[in-house]
Amino acid sequence: MSITTQLVKKLVQIPIFGGLTVGEAAAFFEVAHEASVGKGATLFREGDDGDALLVILEGEVAVTRKGIELARLGKHTVLGEMSLMGEGEVRSATATALTDVKVLNVPSKRVQKMLKDDDVAALKVVANLAQVMSKRLQAINERLVSMSGGKKKEELADFGRILTTWQF
Amino acid sequence: MTSADAANYYFKKAARIMDVGERIETLLVTPLREVKAQVSIELDNGEIRTFQGFRCQHDNSRGPMKGGLRYHPQVDAEEVMGLASLMTWKTAVVNLPYGGAKGGITVDPSTLSLKELERLTRKFVDQIHDVIGPTRDIPGPDLNTNPQVMAWIMDQYSKYHGHAPAVVTGKPVELYGSKGRETATARGLLSVCRQILQDVGLPMKGMRFAVQGFGNVGSHVSRLFAEAGGVLVAVSDVHGGVQNPRGLDVPGLFEHVKRQGSVKNFGGGTACTNEEVLTADCDVLVPAALGSVVDKELAKEVRARIVLEGANAPCTPEADEIFEQRGVLVVPDILANAGGVTVSYFEWVQNLQHVTWDEERVNSELDRMMAEAYEKVGQISRSRKLALRTSAYVLAIGRVGKATVLRGI
Repeated sequence: MSITTQLVKKLVQIPIFGGLTVGEAAAFFEVAHEASVGKGATLFREGDDGDALLVILEGEVAVTRKGIELARLGKHTVLGEMSLMGEGEVRSATATALTDVKVLNVPSKRVQKMLKDDDVAALKVVANLAQVMSKRLQAINERLVSMSGGKKKEELADFGRILTTWQF
Repeated sequence: MTSADAANYYFKKAARIMDVGERIETLLVTPLREVKAQVSIELDNGEIRTFQGFRCQHDNSRGPMKGGLRYHPQVDAEEVMGLASLMTWKTAVVNLPYGGAKGGITVDPSTLSLKELERLTRKFVDQIHDVIGPTRDIPGPDLNTNPQVMAWIMDQYSKYHGHAPAVVTGKPVELYGSKGRETATARGLLSVCRQILQDVGLPMKGMRFAVQGFGNVGSHVSRLFAEAGGVLVAVSDVHGGVQNPRGLDVPGLFEHVKRQGSVKNFGGGTACTNEEVLTADCDVLVPAALGSVVDKELAKEVRARIVLEGANAPCTPEADEIFEQRGVLVVPDILANAGGVTVSYFEWVQNLQHVTWDEERVNSELDRMMAEAYEKVGQISRSRKLALRTSAYVLAIGRVGKATVLRGI
């Protein structure tokens, strides 16, 4: 399928496709296809094979895990990007359409083949992905720290300080 | 309440005053290692008996762990654990380079022959020899274990690890034991007694004292205190007691005990009960028999101005409160009766250095260490307005805590 230049221009504004020339993007999305699902439909389930990366073109999608909503994604955001990391990746969460949704489906096999061929577009996407992931990891770390009481505990050092007030 | 429960109660009280926090409390109170061993022996008649043996190693931040080994039908894992922590605090109060441990076998040794007792002891060493040792954990005598038992332990351990007299203390003097070990606890009590009398401005000469118990601690306390100028006004053992407000003739009393096996019916005074000894009109009371003999009610009746805890936990925590309210000074067990473990430490030191100290040296070093411990506890008590017992626990927690922090977790 060929996608419009207009859409390509939109897509390269999404962080993980940042830095792609229009020509590279066109090549990258060469075998992508559009798909539509109705409101309430499931795009993929936790544990499914991660066979494609999805770009939301229209509508809103909820990402949930074990019934807990992790994120709500809208137009021109990406989901299922972990599937690019390699074969055998399974979906780590469930994606459900909150409205009628139109997505662009990029088969991960295709991307992996491009990577094998040292395709510049695919390499740029993966480099971008690494950046996105590291930001996410940072956010999770910060959250972990805040969950454990806001600041790092120093119980042994605190005890040592208490003892200095009991000098004998 | 057992002496272990009481120790735990006082530890918590001091830890709360110091505000060390719940997790540090848990860290300090949880034992390092607990060993439970099956000890099976063949009795003289060919029967096979299986006993449970325990060794709890509570804390080693200040050094190898130290604590007695008791043979008693009531020994169990919980009791041993509580007593092990008591040893951690006791060794810390007197500043010995030791941690705390305790062990025992659930057995009534009076039902065993000497040969059976030997087999039992050696078999237990077979089961625990790899967790004890001169630099790991050094057992010593306790309830129903004596220098002979310690000698067997040394011998059996040495079969595995080579000549190692420092693996155990309380050995016979003829076999690497220390001079002065037998009188050590009583001498330690005398040392703190002299100091507290000085603090309250009472002379040792003419000081009237009462002793409950006439075993290893009570008998030597009676003799040593009397030799130092004290007047023994009441004394008792399991069979009964005797009192004389003008003072009992102590050498005569020893003669009587030698003949009769008890202080009861001693001619130099009038008969009294064990309880009457505790409430006798005196300056210093030394409960040196069992735990929990002074409860809330009895504490109101005690007429002594000073209580020296010769036994472990002779006063219940409720009694302790009453004494505090009434202004009766209590020198707590972890300080008062620490002379025993202190001379055990001297024995270990002599064994490691392959030297023998004369009794004079043992006694003067003991006096010095007890004096230092009393002085530190007294300082905390005065500066923080705390009872001697709480102060002793504060000192112990501070020392163990500091070692723990410096080492890191």
